[in-house]
Amino acid sequence: MEIEILSKGAFESALVHLGPNDGFVSESGAMYRASANVNIDVTTKSKSKGGLLAGVKRLLAGENFFFSTYSTTDGQPGEVGLAPTHQGEVFLIDVEPSAAWMCAGGSYLGSSPGLDVDTQFQGFKGFVSGEAPFFLNVSGQGHLLVTAFGRVVETEVQEELTVDTGHLVAFESSLQYTMSKAGGSWIQSWLAGEGLVMNFTGHGRIITQSHNPTEFGKSLGPLLPKRKS
Amino acid sequence: MKFDISGNPSYGDLTVALAPGESFWSEGGAMNRMSSHLELNTRLVGGLLKSVVRGVVGGESLLISEFAASEMAFLSLSPSCPGTVLHREMSGDTFYLTSGSFLACTPGLELEARFGGLRAFFSGEGGFLVEVSGEGDLFFNSFGGVVEKEIDGEFAVDTGHVVAFEPTLSYTIGGMGGVKQTLFSGEGLVMRFSGQGKLLLQTRQMPGLAGWLTPYCRV
Repeated sequence: MEIEILSKGAFESALVHLGPNDGFVSESGAMYRASANVNIDVTTKSKSKGGLLAGVKRLLAGENFFFSTYSTTDGQPGEVGLAPTHQGEVFLIDVEPSAAWMCAGGSYLGSSPGLDVDTQFQGFKGFVSGEAPFFLNVSGQGHLLVTAFGRVVETEVQEELTVDTGHLVAFESSLQYTMSKAGGSWIQSWLAGEGLVMNFTGHGRIITQSHNPTEFGKSLGPLLPKRKS
Repeated sequence: MKFDISGNPSYGDLTVALAPGESFWSEGGAMNRMSSHLELNTRLVGGLLKSVVRGVVGGESLLISEFAASEMAFLSLSPSCPGTVLHREMSGDTFYLTSGSFLACTPGLELEARFGGLRAFFSGEGGFLVEVSGEGDLFFNSFGGVVEKEIDGEFAVDTGHVVAFEPTLSYTIGGMGGVKQTLFSGEGLVMRFSGQGKLLLQTRQMPGLAGWLTPYCRV
């Protein structure tokens, strides 16, 4: 399997070249092109684990209930193109058995079928901040595709780093982290509009996005008509 | 203190390297990444009344986030919209930003909300400007790319596309052409600048995007 990142820059997408026996998993709705011999299967689980509960957990994480699995039907090579919702860059991570990754809900685009994608609850602080308090734990060996609103910035944590939850895309599980407020007190953090941040320690890579979808939504939202439900 | 702007014109952001004892101001919610030991405090710039005016009518956050470094630190700040981040060195002069354009500055710059006139208020573009004065470094942002114009004479711009301008320019707000053109050309109100000075425009505007999206919103 080979993965190409197409149209470098502001509007990237991924093109997955599938071999005769290859498969690929994505969040549902991400496919924008596929060769004629590609078949889609819809499940609530990745790999073997999961089931209905896994789908519900993913909904809570701000992801889709279903995964789509792509494979070729005729023993010939095929291709499937995946596009994120937001404008911005797509980033390919090679996950190794020795180094699992955590991916923020909403940043997951797709993964090889050999990877386990499991939803992990991060505690109730996330609810307070309005950010999804769930991460996807991606482990095993294979390719993981993540998406960014804006540019991808990769940071190697040496000792410590604080990241706004809205800018977090993914990080290596080898890092330790605590969720906390950005300012001296909760009131101050709230007034500053900084909400919840993650304090990372240890060694490992962190992928962040240059822009925060929530902040963009907050500036666009007031200009839209009121929603009547 | 060192500054680095990267990602222009599509996804500009600002990274600041702070020496011990230095601090930096930004609009609320702009922090992206930072050294964990940076201390964040909120402060009212120019007193409570001015801050309330700036927040309620200037379209900017009521409070400024102040990041203080006790040792070497870095801080990365992002505007809420994809676009360009710009720098201006202030040396005791004055500069005008339209509402929402302020990103960050060095401590000590004065930020004040200024009423842009009744017509600006009713134009729906946010009738207030942020007046920046003093000495230091100012960072502001646009939605989309930025066009820089040296005005000498007269120049008309759609109100929603103005990011910033120098105080040597004066302006009036009005329609483009007659009543028919104003109502049907889709141009809305324009700012007619005159004088000599620099004018910064953005190539996109949020009300334009919102207007396009509106018919697709579920009612």
